[in-house]
Amino acid sequence: MSALLAAAGVRKSFDGFLVLDDVSFAVPERGLTGIVGTNGAGKSTLFAVVSGQLEADGGRVTFADADITGLPPTRRARLGLGRTFQVPREFAHLTVRENFLVAARREYGETLRSVFIGWGRVRREERALRERADAWIEFLNLKQVRGKPAGTLSGGQKKLLELGRMLMLEPKCILLDEPFAGVNPVLVGEISTRIRELNATHGIAFVIIEHHLEALKALVGHLYVMDQGRIIADGDPTAVLAEPRVLEAYMGGVI
Amino acid sequence: MTLVDFCNLLINGTIEGLLIALPALALTLVMGVARFPNAATGDYMTVAAYAGIGVQALGGASIILAGLGAIAAGSAIAVVFYLWVLRALRGRPPVASLVASIGIAFFARSMLTLFVGHDQQTFAVPLVRAWNFGGIRLLPTDLYVAAVALLAMAALFALLHLTPIGRQMRAIADNPDLARACGIRSGRVLLALWAVVGVLCALGGMMFGVKAVVSPDLGWELLIPAFAAMILGGIGSPAGAVAGGVLLGIASELSVPFVGPSYKIAVAFALLLLVLLLRPRGLFGKAILAR
Amino acid sequence: MTAYLVAVGIIALIYMLLTIGLNLQYGYTGLINFGVVAFFAIGAYASALLTLAGWPLLPAFVVAMVAAAVVAYPIGLLSLRLSDDYLAVVTLGFSEVVRLVIQQERWLTHGVQGLPGIPRIFHSLGVGQYAELATLAALALCNLAAIGLMLHLVRSPYGRLIQAIRDDEVAVEAIGKDPRRLKVQVFMLGSGLAGLAGAFYAHFITYLSPDQFLPLVTFYVWIAMIIGGTGRTTGAVAGSLILMVFLEGSRFARDWIPGVSEVQMASVRLALVGLALILFTMYRPQGMMGVRR
Repeated sequence: MSALLAAAGVRKSFDGFLVLDDVSFAVPERGLTGIVGTNGAGKSTLFAVVSGQLEADGGRVTFADADITGLPPTRRARLGLGRTFQVPREFAHLTVRENFLVAARREYGETLRSVFIGWGRVRREERALRERADAWIEFLNLKQVRGKPAGTLSGGQKKLLELGRMLMLEPKCILLDEPFAGVNPVLVGEISTRIRELNATHGIAFVIIEHHLEALKALVGHLYVMDQGRIIADGDPTAVLAEPRVLEAYMGGVI
Repeated sequence: MTLVDFCNLLINGTIEGLLIALPALALTLVMGVARFPNAATGDYMTVAAYAGIGVQALGGASIILAGLGAIAAGSAIAVVFYLWVLRALRGRPPVASLVASIGIAFFARSMLTLFVGHDQQTFAVPLVRAWNFGGIRLLPTDLYVAAVALLAMAALFALLHLTPIGRQMRAIADNPDLARACGIRSGRVLLALWAVVGVLCALGGMMFGVKAVVSPDLGWELLIPAFAAMILGGIGSPAGAVAGGVLLGIASELSVPFVGPSYKIAVAFALLLLVLLLRPRGLFGKAILAR
Repeated sequence: MTAYLVAVGIIALIYMLLTIGLNLQYGYTGLINFGVVAFFAIGAYASALLTLAGWPLLPAFVVAMVAAAVVAYPIGLLSLRLSDDYLAVVTLGFSEVVRLVIQQERWLTHGVQGLPGIPRIFHSLGVGQYAELATLAALALCNLAAIGLMLHLVRSPYGRLIQAIRDDEVAVEAIGKDPRRLKVQVFMLGSGLAGLAGAFYAHFITYLSPDQFLPLVTFYVWIAMIIGGTGRTTGAVAGSLILMVFLEGSRFARDWIPGVSEVQMASVRLALVGLALILFTMYRPQGMMGVRR
């Protein structure tokens, strides 16, 4: 079975400093994959290259049997590859519901023409999309803040909002950048549950960068460990995290 | 255009370029360290130039004294507005400082015209005839202002590379978080930065005033060319600001036979656009800061 | 007295159009346009020159709007390649270059001598003194249309997307939408409104010269938008009215305070605008919409 999302030999340098050194990984359809590593290991840079915010200096990225290496992030998102950000990028001045609505794929409503003519068509589009948005808002337990500006949400709620925005895209795979960072323990459990549900019921693959090893271990089926721009181990989460190489990279050899 | 004409344009362009390099340096320092385009740069030049005129009117004909007066006024105004306005805006997006600097520019210029008036002024410099080498004309005054500009640049480079405060400025420009982590206290460095900016603006304004006239719009009219020079040379690169200034000056002068003398600012603007579109990092700039 | 109020009202409504346009560009979309006066001037001169050449008013007005929007197109394209502060400086430079061109190309614009004798708006109808009232009504209608358009737009999916662009452009790309098309459209739309305002201005003042198109005008509009509340059309309306009170008030003040010349008053106005920009930026940041990039 070919991978849904794969990176092969990705290289990236900043000002002569090698941040990604020949990185390769593969995520199967409906996969739940984790990426861990020390700070500065290159995890977020890898995400940026995979999702298109940064251009790689070398290597390839493929998604759904297509080479997406040169594509801009907008195209990759439309192909079904979504991502969330380490520091949430909510549309602060829009309400939660509007955040969801703006993410929906839309044919007519976002043309300038639609501001002047065809209001009926826009209204119909809106109604259908609002139903979908409300369904996802309910699923993510954000109903009570639906009408509030997204900037007023808590950190955990913003993470859920970002996830929800991606879901409006009907993605095949979502890159989650530290979904549990700065989130209270109860919400961590909730986010985990949602991810598992989305994976099982909706068939969405997830690639998750995290520092929260306990939560991640319980969630993903495959784990990659990065250190200084390279992948130093991958496989079953528990096994990988017990490897001496990994322990040394993480904790400098001290148990 | 004959060779003689070409040489004259080249000389005048170089001299003007050296002068425009001064506010360009002021701009690039602020861009590099404080990370916003300081729209008040021009009006700092104007205020300082008028201060020089004032000192000369009061204190006798000494141009040196006038220069010192200008420098004092320039650094004072730059530091005061930093302490009052710009310091409070740190941590806010660059737009805020930019808009505030427009406000500072307007406020400074209006205070100047309110108390000093709108009249053009000239510095009392001894009238010397231009030297003439077979058609190639060179005004001693021009050499004088060019020398002052070069001295100022040399002093600036010495400051940036040989003194601890200069090194700290470059560190903050390079990597502000790292600089803070190393214990560099930005308050003091920024104070020094704005004082230096004030001195550069003062010298620039004064030299332009000596070369031509001092008017309330002197600095504002030079803002776009100074900005173009900075971009051409590469943001955050003082050497670039000088190179950009000279190149811009020469290009502007050489364009005069084609578009006339009044369109020099348009030439600067066109050059600015070209650089931003084709090579945003300029000659010596580092990262792609435009987009 | 009525004639005076009508005149003040006309200028206020002209500034209102300008502020509504800028609010669309900056308040809704986050585009920093420091060159508003350029499009104001283009609209003014376009309409003036056409009517002086014999064109009827309505087509001249339409051309004024279109001309401003067309010139805004390349600047809009520029905005795609430049971050905030660069766009600001470039648009500022552009407006100064436009003013320079107006000054220099005397064969077209009469330069600093000025362009006199521009026909009034309803004069051809022979309405006499009621021509001004009719102009006021026409302006009011245009403003109402513009306000209605903006209020509708901000609630529409299109409006939602441009506000998302303002809030976080990277996130907009991450959801698969390309901000570029909309940014250019918004730039053109806002500038077209400025061009319309310029056309009204030309035919009201009946005399144009480059000195009327200094960057100060741009920042009058900016301060109006900031004081009224950036990002809200009602704010643009309120702000332009407040601006008008300030501009007219300063003229009255001169009647009361002895010994103040017109030139000095101009300096005072400049000082107050500068001060307002400084103070609002420092103490009322929500008037500035801290846009995260």
